[in-house]
Amino acid sequence: MKPQIKSSLNAGLTFGIVTLFLYLIGFTTTASQIIQNLLKLEPESKVLGMDALPFSFALFLGLIGLWAGARQARAMHKGQSVGVVLGSAVLTGLVHGLIVALVAYVTGSLNASGVKLNTYLSQLLPASVQLFLFDQPPATGAFLQLGFLTLTSFLGGALVYGLMASDIFGRLAAAWRSLWSRVNDLPAVAKFRASPAFNYVAYGLAAVFLLLLPLRAGQYWNYTLGTVGIYVLLGLGLNIVVGLAGLLNLGYVAFFAIGAYTVSLLTAPSPHGLVWDFWLVLPIGILAATLVGILLVVPVLRMRGDYLAIVTLGFGEIIRILSKSDALTWLTGGPKGVNNVGGPALFGRTFDDVGYLYLIFLSVLLAIFVTRRLQNSRVGRAWESMREDETVSRAMGINILRHKVLAFAIGAAFAGLGGVLFAARNQFTGPEDHNMMVSINVLSAVIVGGMGSIPGVIAGAFVLKGLPEILRELENYRVLAFAALLVVMMLVRPSGILPASRRKFEFQSGDESSNRGGEGSAK
Amino acid sequence: MATEEKVRKKKIGTYQVVQIILGVLFGGYLAWRLYEILIANPVYGPDTWLRFAIAGIILGSVYALVAIGYTLVYGILHMINFAHGDIMMIGAFGGYFVFEGLKSIPAPTAADPGLNFLNAYPVISVILAFVVGVSVAALSGYFLERIAYRPLRSAPRLVPLISAIGASIFLENAAMLMFGAQRRDFTNPTVLTRGDGWELPVGGGTVILTYTGVLTFVLSIVILVLLYLLVQRTRMGRAMRAVAENKNVAALMGINVDGIISRTFILSGALAGAAGVMWGIHLGLVYYFLGFIPGIKAFTAAVLGGIGNLPGAMLGGLFLGAVEALGPAVLGIDFQLKDVLAFGILILVLIFRPTGILGEVLSEEKV
Repeated sequence: MKPQIKSSLNAGLTFGIVTLFLYLIGFTTTASQIIQNLLKLEPESKVLGMDALPFSFALFLGLIGLWAGARQARAMHKGQSVGVVLGSAVLTGLVHGLIVALVAYVTGSLNASGVKLNTYLSQLLPASVQLFLFDQPPATGAFLQLGFLTLTSFLGGALVYGLMASDIFGRLAAAWRSLWSRVNDLPAVAKFRASPAFNYVAYGLAAVFLLLLPLRAGQYWNYTLGTVGIYVLLGLGLNIVVGLAGLLNLGYVAFFAIGAYTVSLLTAPSPHGLVWDFWLVLPIGILAATLVGILLVVPVLRMRGDYLAIVTLGFGEIIRILSKSDALTWLTGGPKGVNNVGGPALFGRTFDDVGYLYLIFLSVLLAIFVTRRLQNSRVGRAWESMREDETVSRAMGINILRHKVLAFAIGAAFAGLGGVLFAARNQFTGPEDHNMMVSINVLSAVIVGGMGSIPGVIAGAFVLKGLPEILRELENYRVLAFAALLVVMMLVRPSGILPASRRKFEFQSGDESSNRGGEGSAK
Repeated sequence: MATEEKVRKKKIGTYQVVQIILGVLFGGYLAWRLYEILIANPVYGPDTWLRFAIAGIILGSVYALVAIGYTLVYGILHMINFAHGDIMMIGAFGGYFVFEGLKSIPAPTAADPGLNFLNAYPVISVILAFVVGVSVAALSGYFLERIAYRPLRSAPRLVPLISAIGASIFLENAAMLMFGAQRRDFTNPTVLTRGDGWELPVGGGTVILTYTGVLTFVLSIVILVLLYLLVQRTRMGRAMRAVAENKNVAALMGINVDGIISRTFILSGALAGAAGVMWGIHLGLVYYFLGFIPGIKAFTAAVLGGIGNLPGAMLGGLFLGAVEALGPAVLGIDFQLKDVLAFGILILVLIFRPTGILGEVLSEEKV
């Protein structure tokens, strides 16, 4: 078979599977509704002779079709004639359409004959199946889909061919680059960027923004921002352990749990009746988490890499299972958790959402300060050298054990602080607040943002905890999307959104380090 | 020179002291509990102990199947295939849908007009369930490697691990969205009703050897033996071992490294799929999150046995199953805490014998 035909068949197959996957998880219906809302169409109104919702669905499907054709045309573009490029786009569309139409026909006829598909495939409600067929009978709908996908694929191919032939993007990018460098090279701009005034202005603006934000944002956004802030705090702590010291910790939530449970048990009226003051408990919580961090790390000090990851993961699970077990209910409150956790008060006033947000901001600033000072200190450099090569750093006279313990302890202290704030703000803590997803979320925030980089961690926390709140309509799909984001991020940009300068270099030289011999992935 | 010797000795000394103290404490407690429970104050009769042991070994054989998948992949790529447990979940769903589909096909006989295919031909049904479950899981294993791992072959170690974590969460959530979040009952043919089995009279009580349990155990042992022969005796197995030893040299010897890695993933996916169908048949529930905990436990089992070592993974799986079933009773703790026990064992093994029970002593580079 000719390679062009094979590649088109492959692309059509891939896009067919993707479209069917979106259908099976119910995304086609959700997306159609979102499009309908975005276009401000009334449900009863008619567009081009179609009802509003099927029209929105056609738009959505058309976008996928355009994308498929465009992609295939772009892959084919080099050194091929117009006929081949457009032909391969059409072939892609045909294969894509055939697969989708076939499934649409089968599900449509089953649905029409009264089979309840959603007992097994929970998203295939009768309405969704009907929508997938543009509200037509199965045969008509399937033919419509085949034709429509082929047409949009052809259009996408033609569009890309036109754009490529005229090289619009190349010219635009060149224009933007030249403009950007010209502005940057202006003497005034360069001088301003280099002067300390630039930093002062930036920090000043940030400070004013942070001070005003909680007052203006309202309760819901304060809560969300607080959660993001706590994740930034956790991320900064994990960043020290994973990003600087290179110790993969998958049980980070354990320290978070210790902080949360310390504050809960010492300030809540039940189960212990100790109602201590929050400000007194805050350092105790941090200290407890730190101590547990040290106790955990001592026996596992000599492990590295994956073993350490799995031991810490096991440890995190142990803490969660213990906290919800019946055997320890007298101590931890069991599966129901602890209610009425005490909160902080200043000058006789208990904190409201604004107060908590200020407190979280303050903690984050403190954490950033500590991290920055550590990163550039002797200890920070020791961590980074340990991360790169343990044997060499030992030869350089670095006390590996001490620095590992230090990294774990400081990371645990940050997590303890995060746990204390989280439990106090929610006035509740329970075993399910501390499941493994928290560890994985925090790790993802660190990695998506850029390991070892403070702005990266902040960006990562916003992407993982802030964005989903903004995209409320896609609530069902956010964990799925974030999992896909993790994989895609690793595939296209493993160093993160805002990588640390030293890390960036290391990730880029990944190819060279793997050619050293049999242990290809040794580091 | 003398001072250096001293420093060296002192460092090893502290670590060993910690080891010895922990070992003595744990050993002492274990001995005391065994005395307590077997001689001084026997709570359970021999029939109960046998029941625990049987349950543990059956569960252990499933762990062993999943653990082999981890070990195969780890041996070749030195990465934890975090999504392995979710491949098992996919296999379980494959088997579930086969049973559900066959149940809806009528196969009336003169004696029983209401009979369906599942109960009329139970052997064919079970074989079909395994074939479908294994194929679906093997296919997912293949695509998982192609999409999420292959492009990262030369990346630093953390990168494929994160990608694997992402893939795991993706598979779980995709299954949740497609099949719903509820737990579904895995309907067996009536011949294989859960809980039915041969009754053995033991020491004053009866112990039931369930049909599903025996099927699970026998089938896993057969698969494990076949796999061992495949890896040790065939051309493909030899190629796999060569790639595990050294990829570059294997490539120079004319082995298609990418092809072997793909086949390894297909193989490990198939094993996980078989384990998933067994899980469904024996334990009776399928849901999207089913693979997570067995996945972690099986990894524990693989580490226990010495990761990269096939017989070690089998042994580790059986051992872990037995510990989970017998441990709470022996140590006198709540049965809810059996997972704590499994992870605790993992930590202890890693402290005392990081290479696992049967593990070779790996060079530092490999660990």
